[in-house]
Amino acid sequence: MLFNSYTFLVFFAVVLILHNLPFSWKTKKINLLLASYVFYAAWNPPFILLLWLSTLVDYFVGRALYTQENKHKKKLLLVISLIGNLGMLCFFKYGGFILENFTSLVNALGVDYHPAKPNIILPAGISFYTFTTLCYTIDMYRKESKPVKTLLDFSLFVTFFPHLVAGPIVRPPQLVPQFETPRKASQQQLLQGLFLLTLGLFMKVFLADGMLSESANSVFSSHDVLKTLDAWMGVLAFSGQIFFDFAGYSSCAIGAALCLGFILPQNFLFPYAAVGFTDFWRRWHITLSSWLRDYLYIPLGGNRLGKYRTYFNLMVTMLLGGLWHGAKWTFVAWGALHGLYLWIEKAFRDARRKKSLPALAIVESKNNFIKSSFAPSFTKPVEGSFPPETNHPKTVTNFFLALCTFFLVNVTWVFFRAEDFTSAWRLLHSMFVRNDSGTAVLAYLDIAKVSIIIVILVIAHWLMRNTMVLNVAGKMSWWLLGIVWSVMLILIMLSQNASSSFIYFQF
Amino acid sequence: MQPTNYKKAGLLAVCISLIAIISWEIHLRNSGVPVSYDDNEALWSDKRAMVYEPSDKATVIIGSSRIKYDLDIPTWENSTGDHVIQLSNVGSSPRPVLADLANDKNFKGRLIIDVTEGSFFSRTVVYDWKTNRKIAYYKERTPTQRFSFQINHVLESQFVFLDQQFYSINSLIEKLDVPPRPKVNSGNPFPMEFYPNSFDRQSFMTARFVADTSLQNQVKAIWRRGRTNAKPPLTGTALDSIFSSVKFQVEKIKARGGRVLFIRTPSSGPLFEYETKRYPRAEYWDRLLKVTDCPGVYFKDYPAMANFECPEDSHLSREQAVIFTNSFINILKEEKGWSFTHNLNKPVL
Repeated sequence: MLFNSYTFLVFFAVVLILHNLPFSWKTKKINLLLASYVFYAAWNPPFILLLWLSTLVDYFVGRALYTQENKHKKKLLLVISLIGNLGMLCFFKYGGFILENFTSLVNALGVDYHPAKPNIILPAGISFYTFTTLCYTIDMYRKESKPVKTLLDFSLFVTFFPHLVAGPIVRPPQLVPQFETPRKASQQQLLQGLFLLTLGLFMKVFLADGMLSESANSVFSSHDVLKTLDAWMGVLAFSGQIFFDFAGYSSCAIGAALCLGFILPQNFLFPYAAVGFTDFWRRWHITLSSWLRDYLYIPLGGNRLGKYRTYFNLMVTMLLGGLWHGAKWTFVAWGALHGLYLWIEKAFRDARRKKSLPALAIVESKNNFIKSSFAPSFTKPVEGSFPPETNHPKTVTNFFLALCTFFLVNVTWVFFRAEDFTSAWRLLHSMFVRNDSGTAVLAYLDIAKVSIIIVILVIAHWLMRNTMVLNVAGKMSWWLLGIVWSVMLILIMLSQNASSSFIYFQF
Repeated sequence: MQPTNYKKAGLLAVCISLIAIISWEIHLRNSGVPVSYDDNEALWSDKRAMVYEPSDKATVIIGSSRIKYDLDIPTWENSTGDHVIQLSNVGSSPRPVLADLANDKNFKGRLIIDVTEGSFFSRTVVYDWKTNRKIAYYKERTPTQRFSFQINHVLESQFVFLDQQFYSINSLIEKLDVPPRPKVNSGNPFPMEFYPNSFDRQSFMTARFVADTSLQNQVKAIWRRGRTNAKPPLTGTALDSIFSSVKFQVEKIKARGGRVLFIRTPSSGPLFEYETKRYPRAEYWDRLLKVTDCPGVYFKDYPAMANFECPEDSHLSREQAVIFTNSFINILKEEKGWSFTHNLNKPVL
């Protein structure tokens, strides 16, 4: 079910009413669980079986992992969980990709092998809920948190509809304790939740779909060499579209949960004001980057195993992060480019640190040292102080660096959005080589829309980079907030793009 | 967090939004804007799902825009007692839909295919991608999409402003007087009076369009530009492959007991002259009937429908559509041997 659909409005109204009726807490949780299954099944009912299978296997394997003392048996259980979760993900998401590449490889070796193309439908949100369940079993293996007490709570943790299909990717300690005691939104939380829902829908329906998607589609679907202006406008349009689409989804998810009295972690913190790529990954899809840090980068050794191994670990993490987004080499290239940017940034930072502190014998705690090299630390859910390490002062130099970062991020989006490498190179050529005879595909009005929105987006991110949306809304006078809120509502109603899917659903 | 009064802010937001939307709705209604349904994938899929109705109770129509204007659905349904399932698509060839129906083993019904030569015998039709998207949407329709469609139907029936094609925020922005960029298509060039669409997917011109020659000339100019920019018609093996694929699809439907009939709906003025010159009847229409071994109705062969003057050369007004539909039903009954739910002897008004 899409947040931007009439069905969701009806569904959510029913869920809110049921959640506020005087039922027992257990009954309310059962209601939420059933509602979450309806939310998921409304897309493709048979795939709910996968969700049940994943929930059951990980609940019981998780418990066994926590209590098992025999190391070999424990490892075996972990392997079962990994094979179950990643196997399912590989089959549905990467099955066709693996077969296609295997076929190309054996054909290159002279073997005449041409299998039928598999027709596998990707279950919605499989990448998200697989990561949610995986982190539970890995935490159980490491004994980093306690097993969830009941199957009901675990099922609700995995399936809770606001985060189920496209995140934020939640960890057990973030959500499970919230199921243990009765929760109901205060009036303030309910209204803040509705405000975030409106903001999310405004970002998705009006900005991403209404204002930017057509320009991005026109440019990325063109088979011609384009005029430089058109190429840049298309890439900037996609840059805005993917932010508004995904951050819009996250706002809706956080808002919907808040209306029910639950708090989900932040997923975006004004990423286009990032100063450098370490900062970018602390602001963009935060729950994924922190997942990759904790369950991939650190287990690979993080920065504990020397300089070169650190670079290697960084690149592997980014490559797999790219592949997580989709079974295409262009996503791997997108990850590789981010890995490269992180390498360069790290090299600069290390050189500067060496210069200013010749004896790098800084006593840092092991974990802090590991975490300082990559990705965000956990951000407090919804409210709270801003993570200090991201708090770059708002100087002209930093603004210039933020613009440079934004420029380089745009280059990476070409690989992320392009159908294949040929299209990506053609578009990059159009962006960086002046071509007066190139094709024009965007009308003046499209160019104006993209320019205005992107300029406002970057400035707004810069101005708000050290705060959060609800903090800004909270400081407004009630009438100003009311006017802003009503403008968003009116523009949502006038946009009438109620049915297009979120980009991240395909991941 | 500073304590802002969210309750007051929320109430103010609801009040402002309601006042703005209601005022906008009243303004549009007072301007004479009719209720129109977005002719999107969801509406098409709703009709596509109906093709399994018994063949003696329903007729499926596929084609380009002409049959969407020319076949008046209320007239057909009142006269015959049968249901019309309109699956034609503006600016598209009917061939993708024909292939979809032919490949659907459960479709065994009556099918009328409208032939507008420029789109039927072409491989590069402007909006074929939209038709393909509609077919894909139908095949992948989710329960939530079906439910949303039902709610949307109720809302669209009540609110004029929910016309995406002319009153969505993007359409309103496109009405700004911004000069067109050379060589770039921008916006919808058709006047809104040309475009209302019923829930049955019948398109119609408003009374204002029929009365206003400047609006008609605006559309005629679009057809003229299309004629100037048209690529040469397909010939040789490319054309042969279209004939053979249509034959193949039609035979599939007939083999299951379905009935197929082709129709060439009216056009007039310079457009008709251009079409007959570019697509000589013997080489296209006559060959199509021969290859597929199907009956056909060519409007010029029947005095009752031969001399329509289309307001913008290509489509009939609603008044003309009623006359055309009655004539068409008579031809089907008397000449082509079609029977309908209503008594055969009942006079068609």
